[in-house]
Amino acid sequence: MEIDGVAPPVPEKPLFEPLKAHEMSDGKVQFRKVSVPPHRYTPLKKAWMEIYSPVYEQMKVDIRMNLKARKVELKTRGDTPDISNLQKCADFVHAFMMGFDVIDAVALLRMDELYVDSFEIKDVKTLKGEHKSRAIGRLSGKGGKTKFSIENATKTRIVLADEKIHILGSFRNIKIARDALCSLILGAPPGKVNSKLRQVTARSAELF
Amino acid sequence: MGRPSEAAGMEALHQLKSTEPPQWLAPSASLSESARAASQHLFASLRPHVRKSPFDELLVDNFDAEQIWQQIDLLTQPLVRSIRRRVKHWEKNPAEIENLLPEVADGGKKVAQGKKMEEIDDDDDDDGGDMDMDDDDDDDDEEMDVDNDGEQDGGKDEGDESEEEEEEKSGGIEDKFLKIKELQEHLEDEEARHYGLDAKNKKSKKKSGSKKLEDEDDDSEEGEEDKEEDDDEDEEVDLFAGGDDEDEEDEMGNARYEDFFGKKKGGSEPKPRFKDELGEDSSSGEEEKEEELSSDDDDDEEEDDDENVNKKPKVLSTHEKEVQKIKSEIEKMEKANLDPKTWTMQGEVTAANRPKNSALEVDLDFEHNVRPVPVITEEVTQSLEEIIKKRIIEGQFDDIKRAPGLPSKAPRELKPVDENKSNKGLAEVYEEEFVQQTDPAAAPLSFSDEQKKEASTLFKKLCLKLDALSHFHFAPKPIIEDMSIQSNVPALAMEEIAPVAVSDAAMLAPEEVFSGKGNVKAEVELTQTERKRRRAKKKRKFKAVETKKMASKKAREDELRKQKEAAGNGEEQ
Repeated sequence: MEIDGVAPPVPEKPLFEPLKAHEMSDGKVQFRKVSVPPHRYTPLKKAWMEIYSPVYEQMKVDIRMNLKARKVELKTRGDTPDISNLQKCADFVHAFMMGFDVIDAVALLRMDELYVDSFEIKDVKTLKGEHKSRAIGRLSGKGGKTKFSIENATKTRIVLADEKIHILGSFRNIKIARDALCSLILGAPPGKVNSKLRQVTARSAELF
Repeated sequence: MGRPSEAAGMEALHQLKSTEPPQWLAPSASLSESARAASQHLFASLRPHVRKSPFDELLVDNFDAEQIWQQIDLLTQPLVRSIRRRVKHWEKNPAEIENLLPEVADGGKKVAQGKKMEEIDDDDDDDGGDMDMDDDDDDDDEEMDVDNDGEQDGGKDEGDESEEEEEEKSGGIEDKFLKIKELQEHLEDEEARHYGLDAKNKKSKKKSGSKKLEDEDDDSEEGEEDKEEDDDEDEEVDLFAGGDDEDEEDEMGNARYEDFFGKKKGGSEPKPRFKDELGEDSSSGEEEKEEELSSDDDDDEEEDDDENVNKKPKVLSTHEKEVQKIKSEIEKMEKANLDPKTWTMQGEVTAANRPKNSALEVDLDFEHNVRPVPVITEEVTQSLEEIIKKRIIEGQFDDIKRAPGLPSKAPRELKPVDENKSNKGLAEVYEEEFVQQTDPAAAPLSFSDEQKKEASTLFKKLCLKLDALSHFHFAPKPIIEDMSIQSNVPALAMEEIAPVAVSDAAMLAPEEVFSGKGNVKAEVELTQTERKRRRAKKKRKFKAVETKKMASKKAREDELRKQKEAAGNGEEQ
């Protein structure tokens, strides 16, 4: 040992690359399984390739359909760059199962901040029989125009599945859309809802 | 100084009389001398008539005007009073004036009368003298005080003497000089004179009762019935007669409250005196007479009081009557002014403040603010219907138009919400949004924006062409970002179609003309080092160019040479 004032040279700061999915899980493979409801079976068959390609090629996640179990299974590969990819793919498939279109659901893969929010009509107001039917009709509007107007105004995608309502979009937009839908369920006329939407969107547009 | 003779005095008086008024303005010694002489003469002439003056002659040597006047005053005041008294006495008894004149010729009676008068005068003088003394004491200088005191004492002594005389006489028997009855009468007269002229009235009115009075007096007197008293009665009758002549009117006709009850101030005093005297007189007399007398006397007394108080002459002249009238009117008007006004003259009067139904009696005038109700006739309805028809034909109904709201803020651009299913996927929507936020220029224009832009460009072209027709409101070409080479030519030539205004503006901006970099300095501003640098730079450039030239030249020459050699070689072979 040199008894000098000079200290031994400090080693350089090590630079680590992010862990791959396999390395993180110590080489283990991770799975996700998404069940397929019967009404989405045929659409899945039709849109399989559109689902498969981005998942397999861009997300680098293995995907397969288990026909017997009626489930879509997802598996990490060795070169999956990030562990969150698996989850994203799972969400993407799940969104498709809920009823969203592939092109809309693909946004989930591309953006992090998108969420899917689901609620039922009975959460808002207890309606029975005819009233419920009427509420559903109010929500969608003639030829779906009310729903589309909400979708376009708030930059979300809405799926009305009998009792359940699913909204896909960013957090703020989901809130706006949810408020509009709730007011429709509670009985507001579509015109009022439209005007309100316009105000809100204009305000939100001014903010940016 | 010796007393000047009468003649000198008269002469002095004449001299004073003859001097003209302006000469009196300036003080002159001669005038003062003559004035003094004249006053001395006058003093001497008056002196015998006054009994108790302290000065035998007027002292003028080294005396002030004030002092001289005081001496004269002392002398003349009692004299004046006595003269006044005499005159008043003679007013009452004009007969006595005749008595005075043949005073020397008549017998003792007259003399006695005269002496009585003198005694009366003496008494008066004493009284007056005493009164004068009192007055003078208040007013005079200190010099006079001693004199006054002396005189006062003298006066008092004299008064005492007279009183003693009276006492002696009254205690004993009446003299021909002093008669108690006469004294009493005289006192009554005096008092009557003081408090009015009722004494005469009394005497005149009660001619019938006068004798009664006389009898009463006679009776009342304590055992004194002398012939002298009869004489006195006659004299009294004369006196009474004299009184009758003078006053004629009755005062009982104009009886007033004051006659009976008298004024508050002066009425009380004389009343008891009269009553006491007459009470004494009538106490011993008969009852009926007493009653009559008392009642009459009361009336008389009251009348006396009234007269004493009012001091009004019975006959009013026309002027006085007018004055009275005006006075009463003035009093009336003043009274009216002091009273509260009638309700019509007050300001705002409610029904409670005025008597019932009083508004009906007064002629009121007020404005009607209500239009009178129109009478509907055939013509009125006709006219209305015509108006209605006309309006319907025209179509001019007075409809209410909505008032335009004030433009406070620019209306928000309301994007029409698309009711169709959007073609773009959600991802693309967000993608577009993201791109817009980060890089607005590169964002692909939306459908509506493109149309807008097209419309705006068309409009600008149109505007340009229109502006060309109106020169003074020229606007330059719309900025369409194209690649175009612009030469440095005056703008006028390029743009103006019909040149009206000459413009020197060049097309190119200065920075486009000059492409320099860095800090450009003029030659003057350069420092030494900079100059050197510039020169060095120039040299280098030049050198570089030269070398290039040289090189190129050389190259050419070499080539030529080569060609020549080649040519030469060719020829040789």
